[in-house]
Amino acid sequence: MSAELAAYRGELRAWLEAHREELAPRYALPGTLDDHVAQMQRVKAILFDAGWMQRGWPERVGGSGGPPMLRTELGANLAARDFVDSGLFSLIEVLAPTLIDFARPELAAEAVPKLLSGAELWCQGFSEPDSGSDLASLRCRAVPEGGNAATAARWIINGQKVWTSLAQFSQRCVLLTRTGPADSRHRGITAFFVDMDTPGITVRPIEMINGELEFAEVFFEDVAVPAERMLGELNGGWAVAMSILPYERSSCFWQRIAYLYRRLERLVEIAPQDDRAAEVVGNAYVQLHALRARSRATQHRLAATGAIGAETSIDKVLVAAGEQAVFDAVHRLLPGMVEIEDSAAGETWRGEYLYSRAATIYGGTAEVQRNIIARRLLDLGSDE
Amino acid sequence: MITANERAAMTESVGAAIADAVARSANVDATLAELGWRELLADDPDAAVEIVFTALGSANATASALDDVLAATLGFELGADLAILLPNFASWAPPGRIDGSHSHAHGIATCRAATAAEILVACDNESALNTSMVSVAAAEVTVVRGVDPDAGLHFVRCPIETKGGRPLDPAAWQSALALGRRAVAYQIAGACRTVLNLARTHALDRMQFGRPIARFQAVRHKLAEVLVAVESLDAALAAAGDTPSPETAALAKAIAGRTAYTTAKHCQQVLAGIGFTTEHQFHRYLKRILAFEGLFGSADAITHDIGHRLLAERRVPTLIEL
Repeated sequence: MSAELAAYRGELRAWLEAHREELAPRYALPGTLDDHVAQMQRVKAILFDAGWMQRGWPERVGGSGGPPMLRTELGANLAARDFVDSGLFSLIEVLAPTLIDFARPELAAEAVPKLLSGAELWCQGFSEPDSGSDLASLRCRAVPEGGNAATAARWIINGQKVWTSLAQFSQRCVLLTRTGPADSRHRGITAFFVDMDTPGITVRPIEMINGELEFAEVFFEDVAVPAERMLGELNGGWAVAMSILPYERSSCFWQRIAYLYRRLERLVEIAPQDDRAAEVVGNAYVQLHALRARSRATQHRLAATGAIGAETSIDKVLVAAGEQAVFDAVHRLLPGMVEIEDSAAGETWRGEYLYSRAATIYGGTAEVQRNIIARRLLDLGSDE
Repeated sequence: MITANERAAMTESVGAAIADAVARSANVDATLAELGWRELLADDPDAAVEIVFTALGSANATASALDDVLAATLGFELGADLAILLPNFASWAPPGRIDGSHSHAHGIATCRAATAAEILVACDNESALNTSMVSVAAAEVTVVRGVDPDAGLHFVRCPIETKGGRPLDPAAWQSALALGRRAVAYQIAGACRTVLNLARTHALDRMQFGRPIARFQAVRHKLAEVLVAVESLDAALAAAGDTPSPETAALAKAIAGRTAYTTAKHCQQVLAGIGFTTEHQFHRYLKRILAFEGLFGSADAITHDIGHRLLAERRVPTLIEL
């Protein structure tokens, strides 16, 4: 495995360097979210044409096979060169596998190449205003048209989602709905693959703390979705939601880590060379190394056993702390850069600094991760 | 090289034998010799260091295995009569210094200094490194009492013969330093894992307000924080074994120090009153962590050094790959 990966990495890096001019962003920093999305889709198209985007994906969805770590390498190497925004690019890993594992084979075969090639963007409709950390309490309802779940040709969806990244750019949405009784929690949830241009869907982007409109509220009002767009079993949506975790906690994290090393490198390129800077930079680097070592072990365990679980809450705690450590270092070592600098560099650092504040919140808060570690890994029993 | 099965079996048997020796107050070095420690070190240094030092840390055992690790990487014959002069506390520079007329060494030695005939000293003579063999009889050897009188550490001061030293390849010194750092880091990892288990057991047993204190989220989160640190140290040590270099070993050692202090701080808080007494084992581990964290450079010193290097090179290397 390692030898195959090393060979792939070498080949990939040589190709990326040879095509640096073509792949590098065309916009001036910091760029808007629209710029970042357009750049990502442009890069995906170039990489798809050259055959890189297909590596590590199964052949039945248009991939060229090979271990999933090939995808991780690609994303990490793009992030390390600032060719794509790692957070946006790695969304592929929490969307495409869902289709592959839970959609009808024909649907997966038709849809996944569109995501990989940059022809489409997809989003994930999970969280709701009253269902954040407690996802199993979600209420967005889907009912079978005509009342019979077994024979209905369409399902009618009503409700609201929130924190849906890139909803306003997306053609499709992996949506979790309530199909069981209101109190059925994780037993009464069903997933659908919904076209975002279906009548009744309204997207209202939300301005984030850094001024970007990366995520949105999505409203569903009598939205009719064909029954064949159901992902997995009726009331089997919790399994769909949980299936994402191994990808999010392995590949997505490795790509994020590559981005964080690059940001720390940008910092040392311009930071003062004194004792205080050495301590701040050194601390962030030691933290990143611990995180990278942990993430590497997690991915090899996933490749070897096919499963990872609650122990990845440790990875989540480390990646969130690592991200904040890097941007805290930026804040401390570049006085005024985040606070009052209005140049392109200031805008860029400020946006990313502010974004990093959410690292301990999204994807399961730092507190929820510690609850899981205490309960599941330390076996401390119930806290009730 | 030993197989994965052999490694697992050995981890268990060595752990049990060392814990037993500590419980009987037996000589741990003698136990290690019986277990074939030096043979294993010659055969598979990575496995030997991981298995033995984790067990030493876990049992809070006092031994001189570190001398063998350094002697082996520096290319000397292993034996109980040869002690190694370690760098001074919190430092990783060779302990010997030869500058013209003034030639001397001072550093730290393990419990072997009390019994060995000779001490091997790595020296820096400004333009190159070499090693000198010093008779223990000619050295000033003092027992370190310090925070942990049971750690077996010694201060050693000795004159150095300016002639007759053997040249030391700087790369060999770097390798010795790297494996020594990994050894101490494994020892700290073993200690931290044990301390976490002690605190966990206490949290489940200790009743207050009519329930085990393990039910309180404030307690749970402290222990979770410790597990995060302990697991990241394990990962850093595995990475240092898979991708051996002076840098990955230094980072593992720095992460060991951070983990040690996170573990000590949170576990002592969870243990509360009993952890502040000598009636609970915690104090032995805390003291040993304090005594050993500075060997081959503390987390702070290493972090500072690495930070300066990143700034000087204006690069942030990733070091390990998938």
